[in-house]
Amino acid sequence: MIRGVIIMNDQGKPRLVKFYEFQPVEKQQELIRSIYKILCSRADNVSNFVKVDSLFGPDVRLVYKTFATLYFVFIFDNSENELAMLDLMQVFVETLDKCFSNVCELDIVFNFNKVHTILDEIILGGQVLETSSSEVMKAVDEISKLERSGNSIIPSIPGWQGR
Amino acid sequence: MALSGMRGLSVFISDIRNCQNKEQERLRVDKELGKIRTRFKNEKGLTPYEKKKYVWKMLYIYMLGYDVDFGHMEAVSLISAPKYPEKQVGYIVTSSLLNENHDFLRLAINTVRNDIIGRNETFQCLALTLVGNIGGREFAESLAPDVQKLLISSSCRPLVRKKAALCLLRLYRKNPDVVNVDGWSDRMAQLLDERDLGVLTSSMSLLVALVSNNHEAYWSCLPKCVKILERLARNQDVPQEYTYYGIPSPWLQVKTMRALQYFPTIEDPNTRRSLFEVLQRILMGTDVVKNVNKNNASHAVLFEALALVMHLDAEKEMMSQCVALLGKFIAVREPNIRYLGLENMTRMLMVTDVQDIIKRHQAQIITSLKDPDISIRRRALDLLYGMCDVSNAKDIVEELLQYLSSADFAMREELSLKAAILAEKFAPDLSWYVDVILQLIDKAGDFVSDDIWFRVVQFVTNNEDLQPYAALKAREYLDKPAIHETMVKVSAYILGEYSHLLARRPGCSPKEIFNVIHEKLPTVSTSTIPILLSTYAKILMHTQPPDQELQKQIWAIFSKYESCIDAEIQQRAVEYQALSMKGAALMDVLAEMPKFPERQSSLLRKAEDAEADTAEQSAIKLRAQQQTSSALVLTDQRPANGSPSVSQLGPVKVPNMSNVNQSPAEQELTHANGALTVVDPQPPSTSSPDLLGDLLGPLAIEGPAGTAPQSDPRVASGLEGGANGEALAIAPIEEQNNTVQPIGDIAERFHALCLKDSGVLYEDPYIQIGIKADWRAHHGRVVLFLGNKNTAPLISVQALILPPAHLKMELSLVPETIPPRAQVQCPLEVINLQPSRDLAVLDFSYKFGTHVVNVKLRLPAVLNKFLQPISVSAEEFFPQWRSLSGPPLKLQEVVRGVRPMPLAEMANLFNSLQLMVCPGLDPNTNNLVASTTFYSERTRAMLCLIRIETDPADRTQLRMTIASGDPTLTFELKEFIKEHLISIPIPSRAPAPMPAPMPPQARPTSPPTASLDPGALLAGLL
Repeated sequence: MIRGVIIMNDQGKPRLVKFYEFQPVEKQQELIRSIYKILCSRADNVSNFVKVDSLFGPDVRLVYKTFATLYFVFIFDNSENELAMLDLMQVFVETLDKCFSNVCELDIVFNFNKVHTILDEIILGGQVLETSSSEVMKAVDEISKLERSGNSIIPSIPGWQGR
Repeated sequence: MALSGMRGLSVFISDIRNCQNKEQERLRVDKELGKIRTRFKNEKGLTPYEKKKYVWKMLYIYMLGYDVDFGHMEAVSLISAPKYPEKQVGYIVTSSLLNENHDFLRLAINTVRNDIIGRNETFQCLALTLVGNIGGREFAESLAPDVQKLLISSSCRPLVRKKAALCLLRLYRKNPDVVNVDGWSDRMAQLLDERDLGVLTSSMSLLVALVSNNHEAYWSCLPKCVKILERLARNQDVPQEYTYYGIPSPWLQVKTMRALQYFPTIEDPNTRRSLFEVLQRILMGTDVVKNVNKNNASHAVLFEALALVMHLDAEKEMMSQCVALLGKFIAVREPNIRYLGLENMTRMLMVTDVQDIIKRHQAQIITSLKDPDISIRRRALDLLYGMCDVSNAKDIVEELLQYLSSADFAMREELSLKAAILAEKFAPDLSWYVDVILQLIDKAGDFVSDDIWFRVVQFVTNNEDLQPYAALKAREYLDKPAIHETMVKVSAYILGEYSHLLARRPGCSPKEIFNVIHEKLPTVSTSTIPILLSTYAKILMHTQPPDQELQKQIWAIFSKYESCIDAEIQQRAVEYQALSMKGAALMDVLAEMPKFPERQSSLLRKAEDAEADTAEQSAIKLRAQQQTSSALVLTDQRPANGSPSVSQLGPVKVPNMSNVNQSPAEQELTHANGALTVVDPQPPSTSSPDLLGDLLGPLAIEGPAGTAPQSDPRVASGLEGGANGEALAIAPIEEQNNTVQPIGDIAERFHALCLKDSGVLYEDPYIQIGIKADWRAHHGRVVLFLGNKNTAPLISVQALILPPAHLKMELSLVPETIPPRAQVQCPLEVINLQPSRDLAVLDFSYKFGTHVVNVKLRLPAVLNKFLQPISVSAEEFFPQWRSLSGPPLKLQEVVRGVRPMPLAEMANLFNSLQLMVCPGLDPNTNNLVASTTFYSERTRAMLCLIRIETDPADRTQLRMTIASGDPTLTFELKEFIKEHLISIPIPSRAPAPMPAPMPPQARPTSPPTASLDPGALLAGLL
């Protein structure tokens, strides 16, 4: 199963943290720091895999990918296929890209709630829920509509929207 | 794109972003938390919108790493909000902040259930997501039927059903009983007919979870999985949105192949053929292309196909095709594929017999050790380690050594450990092994653990031929200008023991050796000084004729350290000083260290322990066990200094006896715990004040050594030390898995079988192992009866005989599976080579369902099985008795602490041990005379005579005299009889009331435990 999904920037600041096995907040921070340390030391053009047994126990590994200023990290155990995880990450990023049309770090910072919604349509309980980015988009659009209809009083925020 | 923006939230986030440092951020967060807390306290004026905003802020703060210990109730209460936006926030934040055992979740259970069974699909989705993410046991019990209904409902949208599938998976993990196997297996098979690929992907994940626990119930799903793979492979009926970079849903392909790996085989030939066609197509049709994402996706499928081929144990031809593919992969530019190529090669090495084909890629794998990516370098190291055997050990180990100087620091420890293990396991000759280890210490001393140099000392001590060579090498290293402290330790130790063997070489006079070692003293830490002091004492002892000047110098050093603040150093200095004044007595005390008992390397054990418990990895273990270590084979088993000298036996024996008496308590302790744990007889080395004990302690980890090996060759196997046998009788490898409790007392069964030839050796709820033996002279034919007590087969059955050096044992093939209710007979041939009390051990394991059981059982191929009672007349007895005059052929000992018993009972005991009591030979009625014939290949038939003189006033002591034509036999027989007289081998005699079992760490680490270690014992004598 997938143990967790982390998005952090190249300074190590978490932008999205979702663990599928409960971790107390201190532990989460410690894990984020350790992962950041590992990722910083990785050169360009190396593989996307790192074994992280020391942090998460035997046979747990992570895949990561850098997109501009962001690290995307999936942590998972040996019941998952490494490359399939990398593919799923790509689906996640492509979906974010469609949602925010050319996603950048700021989109994720200010819309972290939205990112949660998107992730929940892709991974559920540590399992792959949906792999088709267009299906995910459909579900997210539906949710957005519902939110708007129930939220007519919410003012729009120019400048942050539509990024 | 529109977003559900909240001004307050956005403002807060930008405030945080504008903070200059962590302190400012904390202040801002605290301010916000204070505000939220106040607003929540007075809920009256709080609009749902505000509540939602605050709850999001809490999640943001939580993500930043601050503990949010309030407001959980507010988050949970939003779940029951009537409107979607609030409800959604409630669900999302609750599933991120709370864990499954949180009390508040229980409060929400009803709302969640109402949302699931209600008609609103969007609410259903929210509820299913929460339960799928954090649902616990209670949710499982109350919600599983509703979730199942949603999953199979034809009126639900796929969006809901795929969530229901994963939600059910979570509930099943929390409580497997919620899925009724009989009712669900057909439903599951129907679900696999689903056309929607989203629902199918989720259902496949569910199937993987179900079959991993119980594949039997889901056989009907197997052909359907193959159908799905065919559909995807032919790209039939795959909608565009599920085609990822031109590949029909790689995830579903991967998951389906994963599910198939949980079925042990595919019996139906048609299904098997169809599957192999698909696999063949995947293996052949995948190429490395330019687009990285496409590459990743196609290779995800390809690697899963490889794993499935390995699992299905395809024909050799397909396997070699796989290896060829992997060989191609490890050389490609794409680092991910190189990484997985190496990893899968390692996996392949363990499950199948393709090592020779893999060896062809050795050069490329060695190149991968220099890959820019450390992840890949690690995989290469693992693979080299796995593929190493006698044929390529020299090349691989030398590569590793060479690589060591340039390797990253993060890898050096692992590298040196692996190099040391390979050198030990596959050494073509021992001098090469010594070379490797010394080079290791020289190049990477900081990363060489103590275990590694202890082990080399052990080998050198046990192999006389090696000693001059090792001493010479050690001497050479000391000439280097700067050497690592570990090198100082090991060379000082070796030169202390063996430098006299070099005496005639230039630069190797005692004085020169002393000087070169003493030069290092100012540079070493306090843990090394005691070793140096011992070395000085030994040099002094070996200097014949005495060199006055050297003696003065060394005495001066001793007296300097007599007031050292370190107790260990001080004690040694004082003792060596006093001893060295005694002249000749020094010779005895500082004699060469005796041989170490032969035992499994603690390094190998460490390596094995480090390997987790997966099927593949237990395959490595097995392979490691099957490959006999040439290093160990080379080891000579003869006693080090000829026959044991009696004077040394005295003091050594005493602690051993106290140990014998103590062992039932220890044994009780083990059993009282209920679990099958091994009580480690070693004192924790950190608390041991004795440095030699420290040096030798870790070496002794594998087995308690009863006494000093010199006086007690029986510990040579190192697997079982008589008195402590009970504690070790079952030594599970994976203790956490080993929850199967044996029926009956294993030790009791063993002792019973020592006195009779058939009976039950071991029994648990699944298996019974019986034994029937027939002993003739020095031959034995033992039949093991392995009986499966169940209606399901026992699988992965493995029986391995760990014979002691004096027994030649051959076990016929043990089948891997024992059919239900069947009994399998496995003959075991035994030949006794020479007298010894070492025990053979049967390492037995099997799998039943999820239980992996591994037990180590002592086999009753004990000394008395090779005895045949013989009655002798007075005319025959006395001339023999007189001709065997004195040690080592005739040994006498006063035994104390004897279990009191009347003479008649003792006579019975002797007869049951095949020692025939000959009444009337001894005029004194308090005495007992017995005779027997011992058979072994070396001694042939050998007459043994025994005389016991008891004291009617004190039945706890007696004098025992044993005579035979072979010194080892005399000694072994004496010890053997003694064991039966003092110990209480039959636990049915209730042991004295036991004190409440103490936790093992509470046990004193004092003499009785320490005395198990020969090193500590000897050190105690020094």
